[in-house]
Parts: sequence; structure tokens; C-alpha cells
Amino acid sequence: MGLFKDAETFDTMLGGFFLRVAETPEVADKLLDSKLTIRFIYSDPEVVLFIDCSGDRVEVRSGDTDTKAEVEMTMSADIAHKFWFGKVNLTAALTRGQMKAKGPVPKILKLLPAIKPTYTMYPAYLEEKGYGEYNIY
Amino acid sequence: MNGYAGTILRVDLTNGKLKEDKLDPSFARQYIGGVGFVVRMYLDELAGKTDIDPLGPDNPFVLMTGPLTGQKLDGAARWVCGSRSPLTGVWADCNVGGFFGAYLKFAGYDGIVITGASRTPVLLRIEEGTARLEDASRYWGMDTYETSDALAEESRGGGRGKDRVFTIGPAGENLVRFASIVNDKGHLAGRAGLGAVWGAKKLKAITAFGSGKPDIAHPERLSALKGELKEAYESSIYIDAIHSFGTATYMDVGVIGGDIPMKNWKLSEWEGFDDLGPLVYEEKLLAGRKTCYGCSVACKREAEVLQGPYAFPKGPGPEYETLASFGTLCLNRDIEAVGKANDLCNRYGMDTISLGATVAFSMECFEAGFLSLEDTGGIDLSWGNADALVKLVDQTGKREGFGRRLAEGSLRLSGELGEETRQFLTTVKGLEAPMHDPRCYHSFALAYATSSRGACHTQSPVFPVESGGLYFPDIPGLAGESEGMDSHGKAALVALCQDFGAFFTGSAVFCNLGASPVTALQAVEAVNAVTGFDYTLDEVIQLGRRIWYLQRSLSCVFGASGADDALPARLLSPLEEGPSAGSVPDMELMLKEYYTLRDFDPQGRPSPEVLKELGLSDVISLIQP
Ligand code: SF4
Repeated sequence: MGLFKDAETFDTMLGGFFLRVAETPEVADKLLDSKLTIRFIYSDPEVVLFIDCSGDRVEVRSGDTDTKAEVEMTMSADIAHKFWFGKVNLTAALTRGQMKAKGPVPKILKLLPAIKPTYTMYPAYLEEKGYGEYNIY
Repeated sequence: MNGYAGTILRVDLTNGKLKEDKLDPSFARQYIGGVGFVVRMYLDELAGKTDIDPLGPDNPFVLMTGPLTGQKLDGAARWVCGSRSPLTGVWADCNVGGFFGAYLKFAGYDGIVITGASRTPVLLRIEEGTARLEDASRYWGMDTYETSDALAEESRGGGRGKDRVFTIGPAGENLVRFASIVNDKGHLAGRAGLGAVWGAKKLKAITAFGSGKPDIAHPERLSALKGELKEAYESSIYIDAIHSFGTATYMDVGVIGGDIPMKNWKLSEWEGFDDLGPLVYEEKLLAGRKTCYGCSVACKREAEVLQGPYAFPKGPGPEYETLASFGTLCLNRDIEAVGKANDLCNRYGMDTISLGATVAFSMECFEAGFLSLEDTGGIDLSWGNADALVKLVDQTGKREGFGRRLAEGSLRLSGELGEETRQFLTTVKGLEAPMHDPRCYHSFALAYATSSRGACHTQSPVFPVESGGLYFPDIPGLAGESEGMDSHGKAALVALCQDFGAFFTGSAVFCNLGASPVTALQAVEAVNAVTGFDYTLDEVIQLGRRIWYLQRSLSCVFGASGADDALPARLLSPLEEGPSAGSVPDMELMLKEYYTLRDFDPQGRPSPEVLKELGLSDVISLIQP
């Protein structure tokens, strides 16, 4: 049993965070430069979030399983949660199959510096939105 | 002899005599190759002499390939050389990539044992089963690129490929204590000053060319394994990452956890960092990609800067360690200056880690008033001064100006500057720590402290195992999850990595980067398929353990003691900010557990019982009073 008891909580919580990121120019501008479309497929609970950076603003769509994504990332909700705190050993998670990526790896790697500021945004967002119980670090 | 050329070349530089010995198959089975051969042969060559000058004729130099060197197998191009280090005074072995090892084997030799010293510069030419010493006066003074080009050019013609060149540059000739030996310009026996050992012996270069391929015991098993691995390589994101961006990828990955030291290890975050990442590398330096023999991973970069103060022509580009040591460690955000400093280090033949760390140490001494403009010959050693950095690299290679003092390494420089500067040191056993922060992964602290060559991230796979690049689900002690900033259980992890690593990284010889998708059982199968031996995983861990105890014993022979199994204060000072803020490895706990596991006495010497049990009784009298 993971940290999140239902899909709705996780969907709203992480989806909301992605929207916050989409509205943060410092990060969003770099995401838009990448023109990437990414589908995050989470398990335990099962949630799908689609991030579309191909237009002139970053779009976040919950449950979009139809649109073709350039990159698909698969992981558990717990690993995803930990990741946004900057607490996942990314190399280990990838070599141990805790995170799987399908698509052009260089393009994914290019996003790493862009999302660096989000690691400090995440705990602040959780507190602000009343998800303090999930602020585990 | 399957997997081996079957011959060891012995060169006595004092009398100029060369001799060939047949490789004993039972010796090969016991010591596997690479570092296993190197330490055993070095120890035998010492013949009980322990009081030898690292820069004297009594210090042998041994270079050995492994059973897989020369096979067309990803991440298996490597080979090993070792000697007593002029920087640290203890044992040093270096794991090297490139093409030289493969071509040495194709020429008919598994390795070379070099003794004595020549009075005049010499080079050793090896070609198709023959070897000869030649006068090298005309190459003495040339940098490693000029020497490699000249020797490779001379060998062209006759319809065969070019000679592969392993050479020192001016730094080795000038006995810079962290001089390297350079293979084909960009593959270095980088650390602990083995280049100065050659400089003292007046050995300028070894060239190798051959066309013979060692026999393979079970070619069908080897191709089945290659088929199995093909899929693993194709689906490995790690491999894709280092193929795409080289080791520079780690700049973006390592910073997330706080693994990249900045400002002489006082910070793990700094706003200038983004100017040194893989994307900026691509934009400002990247000029091509290179690889080692038979490896499709091709993690090596070529770099160039066409104009400006740091212009340099196309050549091997900086690795992650260099981006950090000449970049973040000195707060230098100019990646072109890092490229230039790297180019100079390659040409002079110098270790970028030790030099970058010694410059960062000097910058802190300058800031604290222990060094003045008068001391530095007018060079302003303020943090981030890229011009000063490049100038000092140049001076060090030539042993000129303030570079003369840097050429001695940070520990000796601190000795000159006074006790108070010890607080700025980052050395273990005299070797400057590489660019991975033990406050972020506590196992690195123990690995640095107990490595036979000092602070080192390559001698065992502790670093890639703990940070995630290597994963061995088939070794129970390495299959579990490990919390980086926790010291519990790390003694067992480090000991097991050292034992297995002495087989995997040290003797087989796999690459800690390019062999990421290879499991432990697949590694054993690769060696068995090539050699025809019937090793089991347990057996190679046991053999690795024996090899590791030999490495350790050699450092004890050269005076290392329990007191040297320690980290400098700087690496144990908690950071105030960043992902590892407040984290400090518990050295007392880890060392206590480790000494018990290893059966060391309080002086850090392996007990006679453990050495006997490992069949190393001959070593007991060398290390026990
Ligand atoms: S991964 Fe890189 S260093 Fe390792 S063998 Fe391949 S090219 Fe050489």
C-alpha cells in the first residue's frame, strides 16, 4: 500500500502542482522551449497526467490516454511524490526500473536543469494547498 | 591460451634487457588479470624490499590487460597499471580505457613489468610479438599530443593500422607528483602520479600494434551473451544518457542529491552551476564523440573552442570530474576555460582532479591570507578567476612560477603554508578527493578512507552502486535499497563492493560506466566464455577479496596505517544548505564495523589469520613488525 489512498487525491494534488509549475515563467519558458509532450503513467493509485509543452502555454491534462506523447514516464505515485521533493536517486530509480521512460532520452535529460527550481516549490505548494500531511521531508 | 595472449614482457630499463615469460594458466585462473596480475606481479618483483623511492629505479611499474581486453564487448576495453605513488607514497593502481590495451594483446602480450631506470630517454616499441627499446631523445619535451601524433605517423604505411601510444608529457618528465600517462591523447592513467614514475625512469612512451586475436574458449556462449546484453543495452536509459551527453550528464543528475562539491567543498549549490552543465557543454565545447576499443557506448567527448582567450583545437573534452574540479570547485563558471585547462592537462599529462583540488585549496588559502600575490607571482587567486586557473595549469605542467609549488599537490603545499591550512585540505592518504560528496552518500566516506590508493571513486564500484549506475540484483548484499545519508550497514556494502569490484572493475576488466547493464552473473559468464574457466559468482568474489587484500597490504607495506583511514575535516563538516545539509558520515561507526569485517588490527593491517586463510601467507612478514 502506497502513501496515497485514492487516485483523486493524488490526481488533484500532483495535477495542481503541475499547473503551478505551468504558471511559473522561470520553469514554464524552458518547458515550452522543449516542445515536449509527456505522459506520466502512475500506479498505486492509477493516475495519468499529460503535460503538453507543444503550444504557447504549458497544458496539464488529467486522464489523457489518447493523445500521442513523445515521452512516456511510468512510475509509482510514491516515487513520483518523492521525486518532486528532489529526493529520488534518479540514476538508481532508472537502472532499477522504478522509473521507466519511453522516448528520446536526451530530450528528457534536457529538462532536468529546467525543473530544478521545482524541488523547493513542491513542499511549499503542499503546505499552501492543505496537503501538509504529505510533506514528508 | 583462451582469453590471454599468453606472454608477459619484462623490461629492465637499467640494462636495457627485455625478456618474455609465459603466462602460467593456474596463475591466470587465480588472479584473473588486470589489477589481480598487477598487484601480485608487483609484490613478487619487490622481493621483500619495502623501503623504495617511488621515483627511484627500485620502484617497479606493472601494466596488465584483463581476459576481456580486446574483445568486441561493450564496456570491456579497459586495463590496469600500478606502482608506488610519488604523490601519496602508498600503492596506486589506475584503470585505463582506450585502445592501447587491446593492441598490446593483439601484439602478443598480456602485460608488461618494467623495472630499473634508464639514464637517457627511451621508448618501448611493441609490434606483432616483438619488442625493443629505442632512444626517445627527440620526443623528450614534446607534449602527449605531439608525441602521439609523431609516433602514430611514423608507424603508418605498410598497409597496417597506426601504433597505439601510451606516453607521458612534460608533467611526467618534470616529475609533477600527479602526472598522468596518456593513451591516444584522451584515455589517462590519471591519478596518483604514475606519469612521474615514468619520468623518473626516463620512459617516454610505449607503442603497441598487433593483429593477433586471442582465442575464445566458447565463442557460441559469448555470442549468446552478447545477444542477451544487446536488449539490455538498448533499453538502458543510463547508457542512452552517457552516450548522448557523456559523463557531463552527471552535472544535472548529481546536483539534485547534492553530490557535486563547490567552492572547495563548502557548498553544494551555486548560481553559476548552470553554466557548466551538459547543454552548455553541447553549445560551447562539443566537437565530436569518441569511444574505447569495441565499445558502442561511446561516452567520450571531443571538444574545441575556436576563438577567444581560451581557444584550443579539437581534442578529447573534459569529463564530469574535470567540469567539477576546474569548474564548481573553484567557482569558475567559464566552461571554455574548463575546456582549455583540460586540454592543457591532457597535453602535459596531468590529473585534473588533483590539480583542480590543489588550485581550489590555494584559492581558499589566498582568501584566508595564507597566500599573497607575492607568493603567487602576481596571480590573483580569487574564487572563480578563470584566467588564473588556466595560467596555473600551464605553470604546473612546466613546473614554473607558483606552479612549481602546486606540482607537489595540496598536502605538501599545506605543509609549507602551515598547520592552519590543513582545514582546507580534501585529501585521504595524500590523494585529493574526487568530485563526489561523502556527506551525500556516506558509503563514499568509508570507501575513500579505506581505498588502498587514497580518496578514490573508481577503485571499487561503491560509487556507481550507491549512486545507482550499477545494479547487481544477483548479489544479495547489493540488491537492496540503500539510504545515501545513513551510515548504518555501509561497512558491509563497501567491503562487498570492494571484493566484487576487484573482480569486476579491477581484474575482468569491466568499465564502471559502460558495463552498467551487465549483471554479476553475466560478467562471470563473459569471463568464462572467453577463458574457458568455470568460475562461479561466489568464487570470483572470493578471488576479488584476495586481490583486494593484496592491494591493501601493499599500502601497508608502504607505511599506510589505521590513522590514514580517515577523512579530512572539510569532508566531515556539515553543509548549511543544499540537499545534504546537516548530513555527516559517522566514521567511527563505519570504521569500527569495517575493521571487524575485514579483520584488521588497530594499525589497519590485515591479521595474519585472514591473510593465511586467503593464501597470502607470504605477505604477513612484510606488513607485521
Ligand atoms: S563506456 Fe566510455 S569509458 Fe567505458 S569503455 Fe565505453 S567508451 Fe570507454
